[in-house]
Amino acid sequence: MTITRLLAKFALLLLCVLFTQIAFSQTKVITGKVLDDKGSPVQGATVTAKGSKSGTSTDASGSFSLNVAATARTIVVSSVGFGQQEISITDKTSVNVSLVPSSQSLNDVVVIGYGTSQRRDVTGAIASVRSKDFDKGVVSPEELLIGKVAGVQIANNSGQPGGTTITKIRGNNSIVSGNNPLYVIDGVPIDATSPLPPNLISAIGTSPSNNPLLFLNPGDISEITVLKDASSSAIYGARGENGVVLITLNKGNGKMNVDAGVNYSTYAGLMRQPDILSASQYRSELAVYGQKSDSGLSLNPFKQILQNKPSTVYSVALSGGSENGKFRASFSASDKQGIILKSGLTQYNASFSGEHSFLDKRLKVNFQFIGSNYTLQSAPISNDAGSNGNLISAAMNWNPTLALVENGVYNQANPSGQINPLALSAYSDDYSNVTQLLGIGGVSFKIFKDLTYNFLFGISTAAASRDAQLQGYVLGTGAPVGGGGQTSEARLSTQTITHTLTYDKHLDNGLSFRILAGYEFYQTSNLKYNTTTITGFKFNTTGGASYPNIAYYNDMGAGNQATLATNSVAPPKSQLQSYFARGEVNYKDRYHLTATIRADGSTKFGTDNRYGYFPSFGAGWSVLNESFMKKNTLFSTLDLRVGWGQVGGQDGLAAGYSQILATPTTAGGVSRAHVANSDLKWETLTSANAGIDYGFLNNRVFGYLDVFSKKTTNPLFPGTLSEPQSGAGATIWKNLPGYVTNKGFEFSIGVAIIRNKDVTWNVNLNVEYVKNKFVFPALGGSPLQLTGGVDGQGVSSAYAQAIANNQPIDVFYLREFQKFDQNGIAVTNGQASHYVGDPNPHVILGFNTDVNYKKLSLQINTHGTFGNKIFNNTLVSVTNLGNIANGKNISKTLIGTQESLANPVSASTRFLQSGNYMKLGNATLSYNLGSFGNIIKGSRIFITGSNLFEITKYTGFDAEVNQDHNNAGIPSLGMDYIGYPTARQITFGVNFSLY
Amino acid sequence: MKLYKNKLSVLMLVIAVSAGCTKLNEGLGNSNSFVYNATGGSSNAAGVLISAYGDLNGVFHGQDQLFSLEENTTDECLVPTRGGDWDDNGVWRVLHAHSWDATHGQSASVFNNLGALEADATTVLASSPTPEQAAEATFLRSLAQFYYLDLYGQVPYRTIAGFNGIDAAPVMTAAQAVDTLIANLTGIIPTLSSSNQNYQASPNAARFLLMKVLLNKQAFLNRATPAAADPSDMAQVYALGAAITGYTLTTNYFDNFGPNNGSFGGPNTGGVSTELIFAYPNNGTATNANGTSNGGIDARWMMGLHYNSWDQNNTYGSAGWNGFSTIADLYNAFDATDTRKGNVPYPAPNAVGVSPVSGLNVGLAEGQQFNERDTIIKDRKGNPLVFAPTVALTETNVATLEGDGIRVMKYYPDYAHYTSTASNQLAFFRYADVILMMAEADLRGASGGSGDALTLVNQVHLARGAAPLATITLVNTSNLYDPTTLIAERQKELYFESWRRQDLIRFGAFLLPWALKTADDPKYLLFPIPATQLIANPNLKQNPGY
Repeated sequence: MTITRLLAKFALLLLCVLFTQIAFSQTKVITGKVLDDKGSPVQGATVTAKGSKSGTSTDASGSFSLNVAATARTIVVSSVGFGQQEISITDKTSVNVSLVPSSQSLNDVVVIGYGTSQRRDVTGAIASVRSKDFDKGVVSPEELLIGKVAGVQIANNSGQPGGTTITKIRGNNSIVSGNNPLYVIDGVPIDATSPLPPNLISAIGTSPSNNPLLFLNPGDISEITVLKDASSSAIYGARGENGVVLITLNKGNGKMNVDAGVNYSTYAGLMRQPDILSASQYRSELAVYGQKSDSGLSLNPFKQILQNKPSTVYSVALSGGSENGKFRASFSASDKQGIILKSGLTQYNASFSGEHSFLDKRLKVNFQFIGSNYTLQSAPISNDAGSNGNLISAAMNWNPTLALVENGVYNQANPSGQINPLALSAYSDDYSNVTQLLGIGGVSFKIFKDLTYNFLFGISTAAASRDAQLQGYVLGTGAPVGGGGQTSEARLSTQTITHTLTYDKHLDNGLSFRILAGYEFYQTSNLKYNTTTITGFKFNTTGGASYPNIAYYNDMGAGNQATLATNSVAPPKSQLQSYFARGEVNYKDRYHLTATIRADGSTKFGTDNRYGYFPSFGAGWSVLNESFMKKNTLFSTLDLRVGWGQVGGQDGLAAGYSQILATPTTAGGVSRAHVANSDLKWETLTSANAGIDYGFLNNRVFGYLDVFSKKTTNPLFPGTLSEPQSGAGATIWKNLPGYVTNKGFEFSIGVAIIRNKDVTWNVNLNVEYVKNKFVFPALGGSPLQLTGGVDGQGVSSAYAQAIANNQPIDVFYLREFQKFDQNGIAVTNGQASHYVGDPNPHVILGFNTDVNYKKLSLQINTHGTFGNKIFNNTLVSVTNLGNIANGKNISKTLIGTQESLANPVSASTRFLQSGNYMKLGNATLSYNLGSFGNIIKGSRIFITGSNLFEITKYTGFDAEVNQDHNNAGIPSLGMDYIGYPTARQITFGVNFSLY
Repeated sequence: MKLYKNKLSVLMLVIAVSAGCTKLNEGLGNSNSFVYNATGGSSNAAGVLISAYGDLNGVFHGQDQLFSLEENTTDECLVPTRGGDWDDNGVWRVLHAHSWDATHGQSASVFNNLGALEADATTVLASSPTPEQAAEATFLRSLAQFYYLDLYGQVPYRTIAGFNGIDAAPVMTAAQAVDTLIANLTGIIPTLSSSNQNYQASPNAARFLLMKVLLNKQAFLNRATPAAADPSDMAQVYALGAAITGYTLTTNYFDNFGPNNGSFGGPNTGGVSTELIFAYPNNGTATNANGTSNGGIDARWMMGLHYNSWDQNNTYGSAGWNGFSTIADLYNAFDATDTRKGNVPYPAPNAVGVSPVSGLNVGLAEGQQFNERDTIIKDRKGNPLVFAPTVALTETNVATLEGDGIRVMKYYPDYAHYTSTASNQLAFFRYADVILMMAEADLRGASGGSGDALTLVNQVHLARGAAPLATITLVNTSNLYDPTTLIAERQKELYFESWRRQDLIRFGAFLLPWALKTADDPKYLLFPIPATQLIANPNLKQNPGY
């Protein structure tokens, strides 16, 4: 079981196969060219002899050369986005093929987890996005799904390059987990934990976590598939609750070629300006409120913390090989600068993949290796800054008539004690460096004609370091005298071993079936980290010596040693052992049945409930293949699907909660951390789905409609223990006797409005409607737990959200604002809070269109959410009216209100705003330059605009927002507080191929 | 070829099997946690005992913990909402106005923190302790039970055998709790070492707590109308007080609370206070002498000081949080010569003087504030910073809302460790209280009492520079500040030391109207049981009215 033993065996196997004689039989060579309907070459089309599994791919000029058995009569040509074609090769050695586009062709091969299937055989709710539809200029893989797939909601936690997102598939299933889906890369499930240690020195609160998928270069991805319902995700058992995202990486296509690209990006300002007063507005408001803090200047302080440094991405990929062996190597280097001073992301990603067939293609060995190193430079921006705020609030609050710099020195003598944003930026640093490796090795062996054995071994390891400092120059942050420095490191590693057997049988009577049986072992170390912090430096402080090139984190020994603090966190590792099986039956391509079962044993669960069992069933009916539909001319696609399944959830549960754990403390003390619950088990999601895939008029109109109903039972929750318990408010993880429901539908329609030789115009609309509810009648009207912590001055211990019976998860729970009284003091509907709004969107919408004219094409992708509310915490405690009396800037929305400067800062529905928005997320204009001689082919130039604009009434930076304001691990939703703003970015790029 | 394929198949099978099934065990070997085992003997007991002492930190230091429940509900403390500051969804105002409800977060938090203290103390008892360790743990367990009884009127507990239980804890009624406390505290006095330092449980600390239990016994049993005290109980209080020896009243009252108040070398030695019977041993470093972490004693001054009160270089962003205030009634209650009123400069002899550094006065800080250069301090709006006696629950005058309210600088700042690791020890039990409790026992009819209540009160009174009293009675319910009453004297001596609520209840005065509190409901004599605890423990009964 140890890795070394396993690797030794793997090496032995490789040695064995290298000595294998490869058998050759009687063959002939077919050459040809594959073009699309406009006559342009189609690269990467698959060409196989019918009945044979061997094939090749076309190069950038659309050409191919295929060895086929001398007896072969027909070749099959297929390519993503085109209908499959069969061409007779009888007496031919050369053919030209013209493919017809068809979005969502039922002949497409889709990835379904532990294998692939033809789309027509799929009975669950599955959607794919392919590389040709990917947005340009995207930093992390899940962003490729934004607005493309019905039922998927993605929102930024931070606009920082490399900042994380939430991805929710079909609503909010769980109270405790972030509801992010399981990511599976080329068959290997990964631990999507950000491998960074926390920043403990910034004095401005918790920094937002970074995106755990940064090690993947979006340019290496060929396809992303989303398993949306339990009938498709049940094969992933206890981790399938929040849906599964299967990421397929690019592979070599058997022909030698080099693809290269360069992108250059620049910012065009913020997508939306902060809603604060300009200097002249500030002046007139000072007069309104009789304040005297006019210092005479007219500045735009927020602009001062913005930068516009160019971002560049270089990428090159080399692929090649022969019929039996293929490889692809890629490398990309990027330097992405954020729009806020001293923020950015530098990445180096390399991948190498290969595949070789032996023994007449009975044995295939493949591997995939991804190595990534990235450096994240974070600005002092946090989720939960207290009364001192962070860089964003410092800039929003800075008096726009007051100099930021005087005589070359940062003005830090502001009478209200606020922080100078430029000083905060200049004197704080936060660098995280992550090296992450993912290695996947696989062996596929055809034991008999219909029986194939697959072995997959995946190992992922990440090592991170974080260096941070806040120099003693900065005043007003509440940080200790003499600043502080931090060095820290973290490690995370996961291993997966999968064995599967696939039996694939086609009977002559039209019945075919495929049976999969498998075993999987997964282990993650959980994020382990050490941090060292120290404060009290005597240099780089006000009045101290200045050594501008020495960062505190590089000279930790120079701090006040009495303040040295180290901390290690090493959670228990967790393991998962699983047995699974799937059966698929297809009768004459009319009737499709799928059944899966998975047994998951998880160390996170209590000893009495180690194993969980997750079944699913699905049925499909391809109506058009019925004889009575033969004369149909209206429909080009008509498939009905129904599915039911159960999956589990264990994500919200950290390892170790089923045992009594204790940790030693300073000076020999002991603190009990966890309390055992041997009954603890996964939460169960039961989902039912019914769907129809339709296409009219030769698929000029196509799409799908799915109706779903989901119920999460036994939801996991950290319940309060009966006191007395060691550890204040000690918790016990338990399964609550309540449940969560998500009900709704998804609708997708694509229309090829114009489809002719020179011009094509396609539009696609996808819509999800979902309604979420938590039901736990024993609670009555009082909340189970408050969450959505409100931060800032005057709102300590205030919460905006609750988990409550018969309400959506994270329902807003606030006092209802009514009016201002004659003194300008806010009047609320009593002191009690009420359930007043839903942070979960009811409608999630994506609208995309592309227009192509000859070699010019334009793609526009928009998306939005409707029906959700956002709590504008910034308006509560940063840009609130009272701050104008403290010499700080305030929100524009306060001009002309009846509010008094003495009005208490308090959380109420006054700050609850509509979260409806529609965003122009990505628009790309590209021109296909074609070939230059025989060397450079398929060159293309493009210009992309990202986050161009947003239509919304929300007054913050971006309505597509979700900051982490969890309370005791219960996540919040739709909270917005002085986060990293969204920037408008313009990218120029050129891509080309070499032969 | 065929043979080769078979060999390969066998090889694959071997790999498949060797990489196959495994037994799932939660691996803890490579983590920073272990499965706690109570049978580790007295060394484990020593470790958990440190944790139990450490549990005193949060619940007693925090301005929003026990201190808030015991003080903000009384006539001597309030946290007014000042424009943008201190609304916090009204949690502070409802305490002073006696209008809190069952969802009050501070009440729930204190309930849980007392549980942590009680559980850790019980874990010591279950971990094969030495007799001395057991006695100290019993003291800490009793302290937690005493405050459960005081605040919530019922006491959840774990048996020693069931220390690790996660089931619903058994609950003692008030009567059972009083009996248990008396028996346990009486039992440990002979076992505790009299050479224990003031941050450890000592015989005197146990005597002090037992005096409190006996004095409050009738109020604990019936808060609305406490029965007359049992003379034999009062005699015991008097005798326990008389047995507490080795302490004297500190010459300079505010030395009891300054940065070098505490003793570290032995009982009542080293520090400038000679009154600390039991204290939390903050010593200016991160880790205290008994292994506990430094507490947040800075909250005691930061909660009241204005942002601009003292900060020569604006080093900390702000000197304080500009919240907690007292009301004019306390300020006006003092004799002109009573040193406990304060509002005077406080120069050396301290190593780090207060007033020369900051211009701040100790005690009740009232009026225009000055800095160390004697220039006036202004508020954030540029108005002179005046700590005015008038104050409202919600301040509405923009010009004065930052200054209103007299601030209490009893624990005055440790300027050497301003925002962290301050060295002021937090006094839990102070000798002056012993004298006043003996006087109270005498007034409440201690059998065989000496009748020297007036002498005892005047002993304190004189030490504080006030004119001697001619008479002394328990309470005047038509004037809580009547200088000839013991309750008034206790307030002047012990204000802001977390005793006022208990005293008002014991003297039958808690439901009287006072500044910024009008009509009242007897339900506020107890705090509500937190809703999460009612769900977790059916043995707890919600207090009437919630």
